[in-house]
Amino acid sequence: MEPIAIVGIDCRFPGAPDTGAYWDLMMRGADGVGEVPGQRWDAKEFYSQAGEEGHTNTTEGGFIADPDAFDNEFFTISPREAAAMDPQQRLLLQSAWRAVEDAGIPPRSLAGTPTGVFVGIMGNEWAQLHLTDYANVTAQVGSGNGYCMTANRISYHLDLKGPSLAVDTACSSSLVAAHLAVNALLSEECDHALVGGVNVALTPALSIFYTQAGLSAPDGRCKPFSAEADGIGRGEGVGVIVLRRLRDAIADGQRVYAVIRGIAVNQDGRSNGLTAPNRWAQQDVLAAAYRRAGVEPADVAFTEAHGTGTGLGDMMEIKALGHHHAGRAGTPMALGSVKGNLGHTEGAAGIAGLIKVALSLHHRMVPASRFAAKENKRLKLRDHGLRLLKAPLRLPAGPAVAGLSSFGMGGTNAHAVLESAPPEAARPRPEDDAPVGGIGAAVFTLTAPNTDALRRNLLAQADAAAARRVPLGPLARAGNRVKAGHRHRFAAVAGDTGELVARLREAATDPGLLARLSGSPDGRPRVAFLFTGQGSQHPRMTAALYEQSPLYRHFLDEADAALLPHTGRSVRDLVLAGDEAVHSTRWTQPALFAVGYALGRTLEELGVRPGMLLGHSVGEFAAAVLAGALPLDGAARLVTARGALMQELPAGGGMLAVKAAREDLEERIAPEPLVGVAAINGPTSTVLSGDLEALERIGAEIQAQGLSTRRLQVSHAFHSPLMRPVLARFEAIATEVGGGVPEIPVYSTVRGRVLDGEAMDAPYWVEHIGATVLFGDAAAALLTEGPTHLVEIGPQPVLSGMVRRLGRPTSGTGPAHVLPVRGPESAGRDLAEALAELYRGGVEPDWDAAYTPGERVAQPLPPYAFSTEHRYWARNPVRAPGTVAAAAAEPASAALAPHRETETATASVLTLDPPTGPADPVAEAVLGAVRLVGGYTDADVVLHDRLYEDLGFDSVMVMELKNRLEARLVGIGTLTVQDLLPRLSSVGDLVTFLRELGAALPVPASLGDAGENRTLMEEERTA
Amino acid sequence: MTTATTHLASIGTALPGDPVDNATLAKVLGINEDWIEVFIGTRTRYFARDLGTGVVRWSLADLCAQAAEKALAAPGVDPSEIEFIVLGTATPDTLMPATVNHVADQLGLDQVPTFQLQSGCAGAVQALGVAQSMIASGQYRTGLVLGGDVCSKHLDLQRDVSGAASSDLVNYVLFGDGAGAAVLTDEPRGQRVALRHVLNRFTGLGRKPGQVIEWFGLADRYDDRQAVTEDYKAIEESVPVMAVEILWEILGELDWEADRLDYLLPPQLSGRMTRRITEELDVPAAAEVSCVADTGNNGNALPFLQIEKLLERMSDGERALAVAVESSKWIKAGFALEKV
Repeated sequence: MEPIAIVGIDCRFPGAPDTGAYWDLMMRGADGVGEVPGQRWDAKEFYSQAGEEGHTNTTEGGFIADPDAFDNEFFTISPREAAAMDPQQRLLLQSAWRAVEDAGIPPRSLAGTPTGVFVGIMGNEWAQLHLTDYANVTAQVGSGNGYCMTANRISYHLDLKGPSLAVDTACSSSLVAAHLAVNALLSEECDHALVGGVNVALTPALSIFYTQAGLSAPDGRCKPFSAEADGIGRGEGVGVIVLRRLRDAIADGQRVYAVIRGIAVNQDGRSNGLTAPNRWAQQDVLAAAYRRAGVEPADVAFTEAHGTGTGLGDMMEIKALGHHHAGRAGTPMALGSVKGNLGHTEGAAGIAGLIKVALSLHHRMVPASRFAAKENKRLKLRDHGLRLLKAPLRLPAGPAVAGLSSFGMGGTNAHAVLESAPPEAARPRPEDDAPVGGIGAAVFTLTAPNTDALRRNLLAQADAAAARRVPLGPLARAGNRVKAGHRHRFAAVAGDTGELVARLREAATDPGLLARLSGSPDGRPRVAFLFTGQGSQHPRMTAALYEQSPLYRHFLDEADAALLPHTGRSVRDLVLAGDEAVHSTRWTQPALFAVGYALGRTLEELGVRPGMLLGHSVGEFAAAVLAGALPLDGAARLVTARGALMQELPAGGGMLAVKAAREDLEERIAPEPLVGVAAINGPTSTVLSGDLEALERIGAEIQAQGLSTRRLQVSHAFHSPLMRPVLARFEAIATEVGGGVPEIPVYSTVRGRVLDGEAMDAPYWVEHIGATVLFGDAAAALLTEGPTHLVEIGPQPVLSGMVRRLGRPTSGTGPAHVLPVRGPESAGRDLAEALAELYRGGVEPDWDAAYTPGERVAQPLPPYAFSTEHRYWARNPVRAPGTVAAAAAEPASAALAPHRETETATASVLTLDPPTGPADPVAEAVLGAVRLVGGYTDADVVLHDRLYEDLGFDSVMVMELKNRLEARLVGIGTLTVQDLLPRLSSVGDLVTFLRELGAALPVPASLGDAGENRTLMEEERTA
Repeated sequence: MTTATTHLASIGTALPGDPVDNATLAKVLGINEDWIEVFIGTRTRYFARDLGTGVVRWSLADLCAQAAEKALAAPGVDPSEIEFIVLGTATPDTLMPATVNHVADQLGLDQVPTFQLQSGCAGAVQALGVAQSMIASGQYRTGLVLGGDVCSKHLDLQRDVSGAASSDLVNYVLFGDGAGAAVLTDEPRGQRVALRHVLNRFTGLGRKPGQVIEWFGLADRYDDRQAVTEDYKAIEESVPVMAVEILWEILGELDWEADRLDYLLPPQLSGRMTRRITEELDVPAAAEVSCVADTGNNGNALPFLQIEKLLERMSDGERALAVAVESSKWIKAGFALEKV
């Protein structure tokens, strides 16, 4: 069969809260088994050493920590619904999310894809506890139970549209689920498949069953193939893996843990008793898996056995394996079972084994099998071609093949054959012909649904990055790719991993810094590029960026190559050499064009797509190229000619910036034929241009009036009457170059407004030379379009200050000024900071362009750290019937109570949302109803909460909310859901709607239907 | 061409001065004698530093040279044949020169490669491993392997430990000083014991060290850091598990049956811990060879002290397996011997 890759893993087992800890537990031969936690059942009450009826012979088992913790807010599940959900559903949901992240896939990117979900599960104890209290079976209790929901919940919350099903074949459930997933991938029913297994022991039922059946180990521990083996110990766990066809995983450069080469399932049929293991069927399923994988038994280096540690089970399993391996040459096959560490995790046993084998092949080391040192000699392992893993086994270099067995109590057997990942998939290498990229610094990003989650996850990432040396580029890129999709966006720039760790920790502890480094954009960003004009140039401008950023280097080289035929000398070299000639307009103009083009294209390549463009004077050439109005070569020719022609003009011209309005200067320049208004940069910011002597004269007069003036560093009097002599020759060249209508709106400084279907052609560029630069008008027009970000494109910030001085044309905070180049020393870090700021503001960068091809390799990050603040559990541990009458009498619904870890008494007074002001009884009633239906506490719900997005309401809850509102309020007549639905965007919206209807609180005196209300409200109190 | 099997030709050990019993130690330190007996299970130890005056009487180089002298004087061994020296220690006399060179100097050996491995309880085994590789390479035929430690460097006699916690006290009563040496050859000579296998493996990825010994320089000599710290809980939990794995890994590697093992040299942490680990190792057929209850935990000298005791009893065709665990950064070590 076609190989299937395991690309993502997440799990939790006794003594091991995550995948790394699971591996450590196995490698240390550690014991995950302990006393039954008081939260589950009273172990003493059900204990009987002799295993009397209704009792179990052990007080121990493998229990996971914190099975009650659930981050319902992350999945926008209301506390009431969370409390009604089988903890197995909750654990799987969180684990599924983390496994997808571990695969290097942002979970939200799977939304809408036909990804399959296959869950193996055999425990239904939550339902047994809660679905038998018929009076209190609510809608939430219904959907909170049932095997199907374990898989369907994952499909729902991740929006996965492939097959979604739960499998119960008892102890082989999760390996059978893997079998179905593999087949679904092979038949191309789906391209990704999640395979999960889960088991949480809520009642002693199975422990009693094992004891009564003579299968229960008194110490609660499975001792596989050991001379001391004396039965099963129960274990818990949850595990999810992500599967893909190997070729797809390799094509996507995903890290592959291991490969499933063959997998088979069969049944004992009518064997020696329904629950007895059957050696012949096991033998057959092994043969079928080997055949499907195309391997000889002797190829298998080790097998993870079912290994429950019961006398008969161990014996049958060894015989079945022996049938295939007894004759093998060389070393016997190594054998072990993780049940020695965890106990029998039942529905999760298959996934526990599958993850163990995958990790073993990944680490090229098979952990020792606990209790193997005291081998059961009667099994005669050696004669069967087998040996126990008494010490960790180092796998030799080259491909290694492993087997995995999982057998169900009812006779459904499964066996899988796995192989180590091909070298290129185990450690993906960068592509050879990858496009250029790299900005000279890394932008680490991470998103979370709220700031607490942000903090928690920043710390998790910092700890992981600090623990082991990881190259920064791949690490940051993994964050960019995988940690995307939540509302709060964090972005920090770093030059090395150590700096990043410090930054993350600082941000997690300093709320001010966290606020600066994160953003939660509301809408789509609207980005404008502003290109600087003459005066912003300087020797070695952007040289440091050129040295550090391969991406920028690529585009500056490209511009230089386009200019070279016209300039005859490399403008790039001139700039990088620090040649002062950059201040001669002949070089200034092509040099600024090159920098503007290169910086603009760099940002575009990074995914920053401007919706508006504006160029100050000569800055318009680069803007025109980005707008598609001029081709690069044409613009290069034009700008070079422009500079050269102007250079030929006699010296003696200059420019003078004046802090005054144009109108106030008219009088002074009217008598000066050689002086004109070159630019109007703002209401009181005007630039005069022309004959130097005349300018000096005017300047002196203006200064005498107390107004400030400044001479600009230019070689000529641009945009002045002195330019006239070049127009004819320039026009000839411009006509040859041509020019079209911009495809991105250009706010023209010639026209002082957006170009409206007007071409940037020869007449435009000729007019451009002499016309006053109407920057103030063009910028004001641009601002009225509501850009969110103004990105200044040039060797130093000039235009941002001018725009700020224009004042704020509209209400609101105004656009953010983004400066990818901040000055002469600017390098990769400033560009990275700019990208980070744009990302925080809602831009979706093409992150790959920010990294060199060598950095574009998969790098695993710790998966999402869920909140453990909220906990949901049955209120009382399970007791034996009749032991405490009061406990039995208590309605089960009371057991379905959400509680927090540090629960304090709920405030008896409703907390009002500040905007509504004090004592708004209608708002209070609505908030109360919403809290009641959702199961939230007072502090959890405020008026601006959105019912669906923030509070996790669904249609069933809306129906209930309607009834609650009718019970609490008068004057609203009969509400219909149709009326209600459009007004449910937020709680506040609902309050407004009800007030419009005339809602009021029932007055105790006014009887009538209030009596009904009271009854309903009393009902609420007892619910 | 087959690679040469390394053989152990002779052994020598050195323990400084007279044994210090629990009564003496209890008196000097002002602690309870019964506590040492019950919780540590070590009866005597040896110190290179005078317990009364604190004066250093022997350096590590002195002890190593004494041990080497014995090994080199044994029948079937000729000092002029020594082609290399390897020393494993956690407590060198000075950081430079490496102590191994002072040992060479004292022994009159010159113009040979010398190595010093900075390691705790696994150092002696690592030295055996290096020697084995050198001999297997065919480039060398005879070498001197040394291991030793002077733990009393950290025995601060001025300190009043009467109020100290038991985890702190342990450091005062657990350790001792000593050294050992062995001459290894590429053919059966002298004791004619083949070195069948050497295991040396770092397994501490991502794990906190179980034992830390600091060193101080001019810049931090007055730091208030504790010189020796141990995570006894982690050690008690992990060492037995690691020991069992080491035993079975070596048995598996050599395809030796546990039933056919004649001697077991278990890790020598303390009298009490060694007893516990030996029970866990559970190879009743093999006779235990231990020394720590009498010598104290003197680090890299222990395997040599055990081998010395082993050789007193070992006869032709018998097999022995040694297990050592260095809990600093969780190093598995062990070796297998067979008398030919």
